[in-house]
Amino acid sequence: MPEPLSYFGNLGQWREQWLPLLLAIFVHAVAMSALYDGWNPDFEVENVVTPKFVNSKLIVMEPKSKPKPAPKPAKEPEPLKPIVQQVAPPPMPKPVPRTTPTPVKTQPKPDPDAIRKKAEQEAKRKAEALRQQRLQELSNQSFEDAIATEDENFDDVTEEGEAAKSFFQAIYDQVVANWSRPPSARNGMKALLRVELVPTGDLVNVTIVESSDNPAFDRSAEQAVRKAGKFEVPKESALFESKFRRFNLLFQPEDLFR
Amino acid sequence: MPEQLSIFELIANASLLVQLVMAMLLAASVASWMMIFQRWMFLRKVTTEMERFEEHFWSGIDLRKLYGQLEGADDLTGIEKIFVAGFKEFSRLSEQAGADTDAVMQGVQRSMRVAVSREEEQLERNLPFLATVGSTSPYVGLFGTVWGIMNSFRSLANMTQATLASVAPGISEALIATAMGLFAAIPAVIGYNRFSARVDVLMGRYETFADELTSLLQRAAHARQVKRD
Repeated sequence: MPEPLSYFGNLGQWREQWLPLLLAIFVHAVAMSALYDGWNPDFEVENVVTPKFVNSKLIVMEPKSKPKPAPKPAKEPEPLKPIVQQVAPPPMPKPVPRTTPTPVKTQPKPDPDAIRKKAEQEAKRKAEALRQQRLQELSNQSFEDAIATEDENFDDVTEEGEAAKSFFQAIYDQVVANWSRPPSARNGMKALLRVELVPTGDLVNVTIVESSDNPAFDRSAEQAVRKAGKFEVPKESALFESKFRRFNLLFQPEDLFR
Repeated sequence: MPEQLSIFELIANASLLVQLVMAMLLAASVASWMMIFQRWMFLRKVTTEMERFEEHFWSGIDLRKLYGQLEGADDLTGIEKIFVAGFKEFSRLSEQAGADTDAVMQGVQRSMRVAVSREEEQLERNLPFLATVGSTSPYVGLFGTVWGIMNSFRSLANMTQATLASVAPGISEALIATAMGLFAAIPAVIGYNRFSARVDVLMGRYETFADELTSLLQRAAHARQVKRD
């Protein structure tokens, strides 16, 4: 029986061997080009967005507000919390009383819950009053204005402005890294904190200027600043005095889905 | 251009062993796709030829005439070969004087069995290659990945500050090897399963045809013997 050994001889080399090879190469070329096209866009997007892990904002008040907290620098060398409590009694509803209900202070004492609750309610009421007052106090430098002027502050293109911007960015990153938001945090909450530093960059005082009406959130913001503890600040004393001795930080969780 | 930081650049930066693994996998992938296309075309051709032949065969054509048509042709496909082998043996043996029916039929069956097993060989050609690619290339790819990750972690030991950015490219380029292994393996496994199922079907039909032809030929041989007696 003169049977051919294989089908290849019968059906032609081209159809049996080269066509499949060409088709196989074609498949791979298509796969590679798809990979090449699909690979880059993600890559690029990931690269561009660098510092936006958490959309909390850093707002810098202009030094105009300097005269207002004039009494505060006097407290600088003293330890923080006792002072806060001593200041609390006076009827003047300054931002300071707002910090009284933080658990750090209430915990050491064997306080029953009732007292704390009462204190919290009191604080809330005070904070409400305080907010009204504060809003008026800040008048031209109000909260909304601050947000509006934020971009201008950051678009400051002078050399000094550039330097300040990079320092603020570093502070912002440091605070955000230390910030653990409470589960009760919601979009739209805002807590404005006043941070006071000394020229070495050490934190002297942090107070809540504008409460979010959620004590846990306020506390978390305050804790974030306290945890960061020491910041990098410019060496030039003029720049430090004008922008870093006292500035406000706005905490705002915008990236939540609830 | 940031686009230059592409997958191809990652491959170019990979270590030699990982590159070798990738090249091997690419070759395996091309070869297995080639086999897939080749088998696909071959099996399709065999199936259509078989259907055509069976239709022709059962149309009531005289077997001797059909044999005459096919005998000289040299591009016979599976089922035609089985027919030619069986009928040739039958006509040869029955021409011999005094051959009894059993001996003739045994010879016919044997020659058809040989033809069928030869056809099976043709049908299953290259399928073991697909099975091998399908089962080993994930491991080969994994080996490349493990090697690449080992190296990128080892280089991490020399750095003072371990950042994600210092290991991520290495891991990414190492993972390409696993991706390629899977890319080669998945079509090969699918092709293997599909083609071996089709080969089974075809073999079943070949055997059925061989049995049917045997019974036809037996009837003819028996009639001839009765006439001779």
